[in-house]
Amino acid sequence: MNNTLKFSRNLILAMGLLLAAGTAQAADPIKIGVITDRVGNSAAWAKPIEQGMEMAVNEINAAGGVLGRQLKLRYESDQSKPDVSATKARKLIGENVAAILSITTSPATQQAQTVTAKAKIVHMTPANSADYLTKKLDNPYFFQMGPLGSTQIRTLLAYNKKKNFKRVALVKDNSNLGSYLGKVFKTNLEKSGAKVVVEQTVEIGATDAIAQLQKVRAAKPDAIYHSGIVVSSMAVFFKAYHQLGLKQPILGSFNLSVPKYLEVIPGMMDGVVFIDAMDPSKPEAAKFMAKYKKAYGSVPFSLPAYGYDGVKVLADAIKKAGSTDSDKIRAAMATTKDWVGVLGAKGQVVDFSKSRAGFSVDGAVVRRIENNTHGSIVHSGTK
Amino acid sequence: MEDFLELIVSVGEAGSIYALVALAYLLVLRPSGIINFAVGEWAMMGGFAAVSLITWLKLPYIIGLPLSIMCIGAIAWVTGLVVVNPLIKRNASPMSKVLVLLGMLIVYRETSASLYGYDPLFVPMPFGFGRVEVGPFAGSSQSFFIISVVAVVFLLAWYFFERTIWGKAFEGVAINRQAAMLMGINLKIVGMSSFISAGMIAGLAGVLQAPLTSAHFLMGLPLAIKGFTALVIGGVGRVEGALLGGFLLALLEKLTIRYIDIPSGYALGVPLLLMIVFLLFRPNGIFQNKEAK
Repeated sequence: MNNTLKFSRNLILAMGLLLAAGTAQAADPIKIGVITDRVGNSAAWAKPIEQGMEMAVNEINAAGGVLGRQLKLRYESDQSKPDVSATKARKLIGENVAAILSITTSPATQQAQTVTAKAKIVHMTPANSADYLTKKLDNPYFFQMGPLGSTQIRTLLAYNKKKNFKRVALVKDNSNLGSYLGKVFKTNLEKSGAKVVVEQTVEIGATDAIAQLQKVRAAKPDAIYHSGIVVSSMAVFFKAYHQLGLKQPILGSFNLSVPKYLEVIPGMMDGVVFIDAMDPSKPEAAKFMAKYKKAYGSVPFSLPAYGYDGVKVLADAIKKAGSTDSDKIRAAMATTKDWVGVLGAKGQVVDFSKSRAGFSVDGAVVRRIENNTHGSIVHSGTK
Repeated sequence: MEDFLELIVSVGEAGSIYALVALAYLLVLRPSGIINFAVGEWAMMGGFAAVSLITWLKLPYIIGLPLSIMCIGAIAWVTGLVVVNPLIKRNASPMSKVLVLLGMLIVYRETSASLYGYDPLFVPMPFGFGRVEVGPFAGSSQSFFIISVVAVVFLLAWYFFERTIWGKAFEGVAINRQAAMLMGINLKIVGMSSFISAGMIAGLAGVLQAPLTSAHFLMGLPLAIKGFTALVIGGVGRVEGALLGGFLLALLEKLTIRYIDIPSGYALGVPLLLMIVFLLFRPNGIFQNKEAK
């Protein structure tokens, strides 16, 4: 009797222990907070980035996870609004995430940083490009992947120099980002010695851009810079461009890498060059593109690669840190160098040891749209 | 000269769309006194109907276009039946109907966004893109298509109001509701058909515009503003007012951008200045009301 009791007690104890161990392992993944945008202005950007993140997480988990634990993404949508972004960061920190990734807009990420800096939690943006993100606040816990805005414009101007475009036209739309980028284009172009001979705005909601492009045609520029981002304004711009028989090359911002434009105005953007961060001839990129195609059935543009690289570099840092302790992850991130991701021109590496904005200054490329898809690289680097 | 002729086609195209929206305002405004700001959203839904029928179901344009328009006519009819009629029955002020339709505007927009998503959607150009020349005029195939369709619509509208007994009934209700009812005009039928026809006309504007700009859940607001400006310029009295208002607005817009040397951002404000001038000095628009004669 006594023996039976002992035995059953031991059995129950053992089962309990097993159970506890089991739940500890299954219910204890490493949580990574993601501040994304599901409904706001940058939803179109954020969604493909999320896809890339999912891909990276699935890959890492299939290979056994990090430190023997699975990775899990916890999404919060900030609608691209700075105040909401800070609130969401607070919420994620409350849920004990190991780190936070921000993929909406730079102003939102900057606001969230005020929270993460205080909480001393590793915060990274795989996609935001504003230079101020790592400069305004001295927040050692914040890191930035992806080419900076200044790197992007320098890359495009290096291409401009090679092509020797001296007199250029500038077309923008009346959205915030569109006019901001227009200003950036203008100041940098004029600093580089080129002259903006005509500047035109295509209004959001306009049904055509004939009058604006007639003015451009009359000014006889060598090339047209396009800083717009709104799809409808972009659509009427390209329709007018073809209708008026313009032949000038069009140079665009990083935003042209959003694949939506090619869907909405098919066939009209061939020949356009834009700033990108992906070189499909690089082995890492080619491998990623094949994997993506298998998972989603289409050839990816650069956006999913931002999410993919972001998760991978963070996972590597957690592995190196050997724990989910924020200070250890930060230290591991800060010593990450010679890291080769999917993004970046051939031969370029991510290096956080010199700057918290780790993307190489010569890592961006200029790509051309060919056959209604993102085609070959026509220029790379800032030289 | 080449520039000017191209510009005229562009004015015709934009003016046609503004005129359609202005006409949609007018069709509801005349018999009921309601300024229906939801016409922009009706146009937006027309664009999405075109996405469903023409882009996704791949119906030929010639079938997809009238079907899309009928869908929006039906939506407008249900709206009239469900939210406006009860207010008319209870003798609510016109302002409460305007407000209820403003509420519907939000309903339309958010429903469309949740059904179709927040990204712009592609609608093909029925006759391809690129330059088309008709005599000395050059534009896109879509520009000439829009101008022709709108010309037919306005001819029909003019014929209806000026030459048919039904048109006279509409006018009668517009001029004096009470008297019209006493004359045996069925106010319900007039009210409902004004909603249906306004829905169809606004929907047409959206279907015609979608291939130019893509369909998007926020495309309604600029159209509603442009159409309203056209209506203020042209006057709320007659269909010709909507047409003339639309064309004048477009002409002013394009000429300012093309020939006046101010930063193009400021050029966008000129049409609104025109609206202010009209509201201050000629609030009835170019064409006076019939009862004013």
